[in-house]
Formats: sequence, structure tokens, C-alpha cells
Amino acid sequence: MTNRILLIILFGLLTAVTAKAQENSPQSLNTEKIKGTRFIPYPGYSGSPYLTDKFVMGEIEFLDGTKTGNLGLRYSTFQDEIIYYNSVISAQIIIDKISLKGFSVTGNKGVKRVFRRQYYNGLLHEERFFEVLSDGKISLLVYRKVDLETCDASYNKFGLAFQPSFYYYIYAADKGYSPIKINRSSLLSKFNKPNQKLVKKLLRKNKLQILDESSFVAAWNLIMGSGIKIEF
Amino acid sequence: MKRQLIILLLLFVTTAGKTQERKYFSLFTDRDLYASGETLLLKIFAPSDELSGIVHVDLVSMSGKKIAGISKKINDHQADGFIYLPDSLSSGCYLLCTSTKNNPVLTFNELYITNRFTGIPEAGSAVRSSEKRCVMETSANALQIEGMDKTVQSGAKASVTLRLPGELLSQIKGNLSVCVAESTPGFEPATFLKSTPPKKDQLVEKDGVIIDGVIRDLKTGKPLKNGIVLLSIPDSIPRFNFYRTGIDGHFNFQFDNYYGKIPVVIQGYDPERKHLLKIVLNHTDSLANGIPMFENWTIPPALRKISEQNTDAVTVRKIFNQQEINVQPVSKPKGETYPFYGVPTLVVDPHPFIDLPDFTEISRELLTGVKFRAYNRIPTLQVFNNAMHAYFEDPPLLLLDGIPIHDLSVIKNMGSKDIDRVEICMNERFYGDLGFPGVVAIYTSKSNFSRIVESDELIKFNLDVIQPDAQLNILTEKQQNEPDLRKVLLWKPSLKPEETIRLNFETSDIRSNYKVIVRGTTRDGSVFYKEQTFEVN
Repeated sequence: MTNRILLIILFGLLTAVTAKAQENSPQSLNTEKIKGTRFIPYPGYSGSPYLTDKFVMGEIEFLDGTKTGNLGLRYSTFQDEIIYYNSVISAQIIIDKISLKGFSVTGNKGVKRVFRRQYYNGLLHEERFFEVLSDGKISLLVYRKVDLETCDASYNKFGLAFQPSFYYYIYAADKGYSPIKINRSSLLSKFNKPNQKLVKKLLRKNKLQILDESSFVAAWNLIMGSGIKIEF
Repeated sequence: MKRQLIILLLLFVTTAGKTQERKYFSLFTDRDLYASGETLLLKIFAPSDELSGIVHVDLVSMSGKKIAGISKKINDHQADGFIYLPDSLSSGCYLLCTSTKNNPVLTFNELYITNRFTGIPEAGSAVRSSEKRCVMETSANALQIEGMDKTVQSGAKASVTLRLPGELLSQIKGNLSVCVAESTPGFEPATFLKSTPPKKDQLVEKDGVIIDGVIRDLKTGKPLKNGIVLLSIPDSIPRFNFYRTGIDGHFNFQFDNYYGKIPVVIQGYDPERKHLLKIVLNHTDSLANGIPMFENWTIPPALRKISEQNTDAVTVRKIFNQQEINVQPVSKPKGETYPFYGVPTLVVDPHPFIDLPDFTEISRELLTGVKFRAYNRIPTLQVFNNAMHAYFEDPPLLLLDGIPIHDLSVIKNMGSKDIDRVEICMNERFYGDLGFPGVVAIYTSKSNFSRIVESDELIKFNLDVIQPDAQLNILTEKQQNEPDLRKVLLWKPSLKPEETIRLNFETSDIRSNYKVIVRGTTRDGSVFYKEQTFEVN
């Protein structure tokens, strides 16, 4: 009986202390609001103007570094703009590109795909969203552009279709962009002669064949991990 | 089992007993006696379990009227700031009230302010608080103040060395505060605490000042559900925020990392346009729980003498424009690179064109895609929607110096001379969950928001947000020929504790008694001090 009383007292005291520790937490005030314009759907041409078929969950990062997650996002590869679905007002909104540092979406296989807004100083100099395939002092980026091209009228009634036209780059803050293609020879061209041999040996040793984007990225990460110096 | 439970209970009691720490703010000022027009320097030690990140200090009269107030960010359980004492203050005792939104205990410090034009009243008496000093601080005997002579020449260089033994050093929490200022013998100001009723559902001011209030139906007085409260901060890049009210009609805005004084406009908006609204801001009244008890007090002759000397010194300093403190410049919050309404499609400066008498003419002649008409004296405004190649049916968001306005008659008579520029967004813009069918932002030449009229549903005021840091001013080489009438010789409110601290300062031309006073807090939250007096002759 005494044990029970003591247990009750102890429980009561602990509850009182825990209850006292409950703070009145503030609401999320002055949080960065998403700014943008209403999205007007594209005409029904063939192909897809988007990175993903549907809106996928993702996160955006504002210029000041604050992040907003759990957003339904869809990246328009045609116009290089990120669209989000605002469920409160049931509207598709193009987020102002200049208000963002970047965004990330969860891909089909649950893989997080990170996009970074960067200034492209090439022929068509502009702010672009680049997908970061490999990040580091030297990054491997891709500009997932979709162009509107003419096609056979039997294929699309407007005679127009969205055609992917991806541009891959090696990027370093001090050196800028260097275009690269998703093949072995283009990769090797970024190394000097002695290092090319090392790269070939490394790929052979790891039984890596560059066939597509994923194998290219795997090879890139392997080379970057080995510390072989790249020249561009 | 019984023994184990008893041990557990004892352990709990011991731990609970340990958490008994100082629950109130300790506030200290550089002096106790001031003249109007002077600057009061203050140091605050917060209780270790304080939730709020912002502390408020208000200067209140004995009748409970707030005269001035500041808000400071608490860093490492400490804060320091300053209050300008207005020249209009009449001579008498005043109170400094230290509070936060959540702490139910208020700390009051008494001080005497002399009006520098009228001096101390001839009657020689004043009303002061009858509360006795009840906020305790302990003397730190282990702390040594060395190198300070009993008498020092005026206008001479002096130095003082603080020695903190290792044991004391390990007990100190946070920084030390060191002040060398004129002492006031014969005046023992009261420092007391007052409890307020527990504040329920109060938001914690973590990183900035919070303003809150309620939006009501003007006719019925009932809180408005789903009302929108718009907050505007006019600036070169105007800032904006909104709050959608719940069933209680309550709203709040937190000004994260805003410093100084900012103009604020708050207005209510009923999306259904059915109700006339009234906005009521919640004011925290330090003395809502009753003003302290008073007693009559005869001003000692010594105090009168110091006070007279003080007022003369302040007047001379004003003549020579000697600033007591240097306020550190503040940086604006980062992140805003363009207005909340978006990058404008079109920016029109009316000045290169012929002067146009009113906004109808301006819209006709200069503003492509803007239709402003006043048929039958009822003005209408429409913006062209670039995406749909047609005019929006609904009126756009109209801004005057960054402040949303709903009454189009405000801009009706604005001519070219009144307008600096007009920015137009010709697409449907969104800011969070708010959508605008186009935007017309007019920036006036005067930028003084004088056209925005206060009403029940619109309040405009200057808000004191977090006070920027300041440093005590010392005379520059250029001012060497001017009289040096400083009362505060050294003010170091945040000094890193070390075994030996050497501090140099220069005495002023005022011959009087001075006090070196060192304060700090220990790990158990108690405040300690050590002081040493000296004379300047």
C-alpha cells in the first residue's frame, strides 16, 4: 500500500514538472511567402514539357536560405520554371525564379533530385535551373531543356512536339561552365594524357561502361573520389 | 522496492530544489540621477529559464503613464541598451519597468530625473515609491578592483584592473558589466518586483517584437472570422505580410530581426466585403496591475546640488553637440531583392512627359494596360492580363507607397507632380495564398503616406522594434578644446570575464564622487557586484 502511495506521489510530481515544461510555442510568423504568377497550361503538343508526369513532393529554398517543404512541385523543362500547386486556393503557380536559390523534388525511385539556380554566362546568358548530378568543388550539372520542334502532322495535330535537348556541363565557381557529352570520349577529353590512362584504368578496374546518364554520373563520382585532376 | 522509491523521491526533491533560481529580470542603470535630455544606459540580466528572446524596458511616470520604451534582444541571458530621456519631462521620480510578453514578474527600478530648464522644485519634496528595495544582489568579495586611487585629477588618464580568481571565474555565467559613473550619495532608489496575472496563450518573442490584436465587426463588435489583416512596411522595397484570422479574430505579426523605428500600417480587409471593420491592437500595459504605493520624500540638499550641476553639464554638452552615445548602424533584413508584388512588367516615370492633372489622364496617356475611369464620379481600375490578352474583370491590387488601398478616390486627383513612378504587373500575381489580378503600385513624390488616412480599419504608426546596439562616446581630438562634462566615464556592458581585465578611461572636468561597479551573474542565476568609489578633484 505504502509503495503504491509513494508511486502515485512520484508520478504526480513528475507530471506536474512535465506539464510546467510545456511552452507556449509561437506560430510560424513572418515566414517567407511564395511569390509567383498563375500558370497557364501549355497547348497540347506531343511529348512532355515537364520533368515529371505529375506534381511530386518537393522543397524550395529561398535566397535567404530558408526552406519550405511538402510542396507539390512540377518542373517545366520547356520554360525552365518551377510550378507549385497551392491547395488552399486550388491554383498552379509559377514561383518567381529570382526568389529562389534552388529546389529539390523526389524522383520516381524515391531519389532526391536537386536543382540549383545559377547564372549561365554562355551565348544565351540567363538565370537557369540546373540539376546537380554531382556536387563538389567541380560539379556536374545538367540543364534539362525541352524544345518545341516541328513534327509530322500525323504525330501531332499542331505539327509540334516537345523534344528533350539536355545540356551537360562541368562547373566550377572560378572557371565557369564547360560543356560535356554523356560518353566516354567526352569525359576523357577533360583530362590530360597521363591522367586519361589513369581514368581508363580506373573505369576498367571497376568494370564501368558509360552507356547512359546514370553510368556517366557513377563514373564521374568514381573519378572525383580517386582524386585524378581534371582540366577544363 | 520501498527503499528504492524513497531514494527516487529524495532525488526528485533534490533536483526540484536545485531549479529554484532567479525568476525575474535584474536591471541596472549607469546612474540613479539624470537630467532631461540625457541618455540613460541600462544593463539587464535575464533569468536563466526565460523563454522570451526579447525584453522590453519602459520608462513610466509615477502616474503609470509610459513615456518611452525600448525592446532589446537577449543574448546569453543578457541585454544592454539606452533610453533617451525627453527634455519635456518634469522633475520627479520615475520608474523603469522591465518585462517580457511571457514573464509574469515585472522588475521596477526607480530613478530621479530633473528637468534641465526648471530644476528641482522649490518645495524640495517629491513623490516616490514606498516599495522597499527587494531585488537582491550579492557582493562578490573574491573579485578585486585594483589600481584605482582614492582621488584622481580631473581630465587625467586612469586605469583600473579587475582580478577574478579561478574559482569565481568558473562560477560566472556570461559577460560582465563594468561602469564608471558619477555616484549619488543620499539617494537610494527602490528596486522592486510586481507580479502580473499569468499570461495565457501569449506568443513567445523569440527573434523579434510581436504585435498582436483583434479584428472586429464595427457594428456588432464580434471578432471577424476569415478576415484578412494586411501589414505594410513602406520602404524603397516595401514589405508586406498578411494574416487570415480564425474564429477569435486574432492576428499577430513578428518582426524578425528588424531594428530601430519602422513605419507600420495595419489594415483589416473583409474578403466578402460585408462588414465594416475595427482593428484593436493589444497593448501591454506595465502598470495594468496597479501603480506602486507612494510616499512623500524630502529631497536631500546634496541631491539638489548634484542635480543643478548635472543640468548645467547637460546644457553645455547640448550646446557643443556632444553626443553621449554612438548608435551602431543596423542592417536591413536580407532576402528582399524585389517587391512582394513581383518584378513589374512596366515602370513609368511621368516626369519626362507633359504635366498631367489627374490619374485618369496619366492612365490614358502613359500607363499602357491600365484603365482608370471615373464615370458618374465612381472610379474604376483595371489592368491588362498579358497571359490571357484581356483586361482582368476584378480591380488590381492598388498600392500607394507600398500600402494597399481600396478607395480609388485617393488616387483620383493625383497628377504627374504627385507621382514619382508607377509600377504595373500585368499578370495574376500571388503572394502566399493571396492572389491579385494585376498590380498597380504608385510611389509618390513625397513618400510620406499623408494620403493614407487612419480609420477604424487602418492604423499607421511608428513601431519601435529591436533597439540597435550603442557605444559610449568619448571626446575626439577635435573636441579637445571643448569642456568635457561626461558623467559616465566608462561603460562596458558586455565584457568577457578573464582572470585579469585592465580598463583604461579618462576622467572628465566634473569634480565629484564616482563609482567603479562590476556586475555579473553566476551559474545559479544570482547577480553579484563589486564596487569601489573614488573622487575626481
